[in-house]
Amino acid sequence: MSSLLSRYAESVFWMARYFERAESLARILETQTSFQRGREDNSWAWIVALYSDEEAFAKAFDEPDADNVIRYYMAYAGNPGSIQSSIRAARENARSLRPMLSTGMWYQLNDFHNRIAAFGPGDYSEVRLSRTCDAIKRGCYAQLGIAENTFYRDETWPFFRLGLFLERADQTSRLLDVRFAQQQTGLARDERYDFTFWTILLRAASAYHSYRRLFPHHIDPKEVARFLIFDARLPRSLAYCLAEIQAMIELLRRDFGLRHASAAAEQVETILIGLDTASRDGHLLEGLHRFNDWVQLRLMHLTDELGQAFFGYARPAGTASPLPAMSQTQSQTMTAH
Amino acid sequence: MATITVLKNPATVAPLDNYNPGQYYCELIGSKDQQNRHLTAFWNRLQQLDPGQLRTRAEDAERELFTLGITFTVYSDRTAIDRILPFDVIPRVITAPDWRKLDRGVKQRVKALNLFLWDVYHGRKILKDGIVPAELVLGNANYRPEMVGYDPPRGTYVHVAGTDIIRDPKGDFYVLEDNGRTPSGVSYVVENRHLMQRAFPDLMYGFAIESVSEYGTQLGNKLIEVAPAAVSEPQIVLLSPGVFNSAYFEHVFLAREIGIPLVEGRDLFVDDDKVFMKTVSGPTPVHVIYRRLNDDFLDPEVFKPESVLGVKGLMRAMKKGNVTLANAVGTGVCDDKAVYAYVPRIIRYYLDEDPILPNVQTHICREADALAYTLENMDKLVVKPVGESGGYGICVGPKAAKAEIEVARDALKANPSNYISQPMIELSVCPTLTEDGVEPRHVDLRPFAVTGEETWLLPGGLTRVALRKGSIVVNSSQGGGTKDTWILRED
Repeated sequence: MSSLLSRYAESVFWMARYFERAESLARILETQTSFQRGREDNSWAWIVALYSDEEAFAKAFDEPDADNVIRYYMAYAGNPGSIQSSIRAARENARSLRPMLSTGMWYQLNDFHNRIAAFGPGDYSEVRLSRTCDAIKRGCYAQLGIAENTFYRDETWPFFRLGLFLERADQTSRLLDVRFAQQQTGLARDERYDFTFWTILLRAASAYHSYRRLFPHHIDPKEVARFLIFDARLPRSLAYCLAEIQAMIELLRRDFGLRHASAAAEQVETILIGLDTASRDGHLLEGLHRFNDWVQLRLMHLTDELGQAFFGYARPAGTASPLPAMSQTQSQTMTAH
Repeated sequence: MATITVLKNPATVAPLDNYNPGQYYCELIGSKDQQNRHLTAFWNRLQQLDPGQLRTRAEDAERELFTLGITFTVYSDRTAIDRILPFDVIPRVITAPDWRKLDRGVKQRVKALNLFLWDVYHGRKILKDGIVPAELVLGNANYRPEMVGYDPPRGTYVHVAGTDIIRDPKGDFYVLEDNGRTPSGVSYVVENRHLMQRAFPDLMYGFAIESVSEYGTQLGNKLIEVAPAAVSEPQIVLLSPGVFNSAYFEHVFLAREIGIPLVEGRDLFVDDDKVFMKTVSGPTPVHVIYRRLNDDFLDPEVFKPESVLGVKGLMRAMKKGNVTLANAVGTGVCDDKAVYAYVPRIIRYYLDEDPILPNVQTHICREADALAYTLENMDKLVVKPVGESGGYGICVGPKAAKAEIEVARDALKANPSNYISQPMIELSVCPTLTEDGVEPRHVDLRPFAVTGEETWLLPGGLTRVALRKGSIVVNSSQGGGTKDTWILRED
């Protein structure tokens, strides 16, 4: 029988999520530097829309211009979803998890946290953004790499992986929603830039070269979307993330005897069925935003099921509210709208 | 000093060339009458180091500490959760004969204190015989009537003890303080050694030094010894107040070294007078709690009702014998600074032996004569509040400004029984790396004793060093640092 504290399971889950969140946010911010090269329009508002942060952002800053948006997502203390806040939150979770973490992970995390905390306005300027994002991504890579190579594979490990892939699935579905967010904030779609746009998306998912190998002759929006959603070999695709989530829940059930994970397993199956249906949808691209919303909402349900099964959240009375407030303990700030 | 052979590096000034401990006992020079060959060898080893390189490597070590997050929170500085405890790279060396004496002395003391606690919470013979004033014990803020009649397994109350020991100018050891509640600092003993091994392997090479890495295993075994008798495979946990506690790093360290879960109050609950922890597979029974939480926070049902750090019903479970708390509740009556004065008599009473390690002479200000004497000699005495720890509220007469003394005098007059006074002991010194090169700085020593059925002493200890020139307050909250402490294996 497992004697892993529920609190540890929750902390490791969220620690991984925060790493992934920081990395994904760096990827998203970085795309903007690429978009600009191909456009005269220098709009940053879409990033705020992508994370449904319009209201919170407006309270902190006036204009969603480059400086403000970068600050809001990099370092603004009032934004619990900013990169600095995420790294700090990862570290707070790690601190209470210290007994379970390898020294290597803790060492790297402190080093990383201290470097990010030492960033100044210069590092957040538009001209240095790419470089800063790169440093953040590399910090996260190192973190995950050390975990991969030092984390003891007891029942703590599946919770780490669950956090990681749940967040990544959420973030990939957001990436797929960039176009919608851009249009929503008034950026007109310009078909001349379609090629550039989808290339940037692929690069943001570290998927450009693999896509090229599969489709050497064209960048087709529909194929790009399908690639990012359904390709089971692409580590950032929705299909890959969900397969990993499914495998981890199965591991908890089979190897560690945690049978009460069935509700969570059912949630994953529901999403996989949804994916399967979508894969046969000829108009996927047109309905992409609705699909993304659905995925993000389902992932929140899944987090909630995990919380009830393992982290000691109370099961909600009745089924009226799909998302009990308890599931928001670690500021799931990037909620679907 | 004449007998010490100094190997000069002709190119530079050697680290100890200008070192002068003055009237104090120097831990590295040792007894002038009875030169220890290992100390001499170590002196010579230090002399061969390049002073510039010594500093660079010291800085590397500090940086490593910061990144590793061996952290220490100072209560008055709430935002600085990651302040590091300064580490001095020049180790403090204790000779084998000195250690043998310390080992016997601390074990004797711990044994007597455990017998004292049993007596206090059972027949109170020592109070009835008038050896220790009853009021001092029964009226003590740390006396816990809830413990009366409770039989802790193996009769052990103080499972982990940290005894603060100092050395006077003649080189004689004295016990300054007993810590029988939740003494901290042992993690630094082990981590300092690891740091030393990484940063200065060349300094250690060739010296037979006792290992300090057995602590976790020993403590774990002792905790198993005190588990409720009916349990064959006891589940041990370490109960911490959480990440904001000043010793959180140490809690993590110990949980890992013992190989037990680090829990907080919210991870535990009591049902049917049994303790459980909340795990991913549901409630799991807990049998021994190494708690690093003060008595008054342990159980809101019995102590502070507003405590959210503790576990409701814990005392009921303990009294039923379903769970053992280490250290036991109510040990604060044995490490109180006023009871301290009676410890030599406590040792004689229960063991019929003379104390191996003497006390520092102590005036108990609750007694009229002692109060009068203290008030007259404030400028010569160290006045300490009895209930405080961490060096808070201490007035070091010979070092204090007039105004400070007056403040302390008012406090003393307002509540005499809250204070004791002691002559200022000229603490021994150790060569320490400072801004101005290697200089003597005052040190003390806290060895750690763990007790189940028998007592085991970690062959090492926390050497705290007062980094400020002339200061004798070694507490980390008052600008103190630490040193690696070597116990030599050979005479």
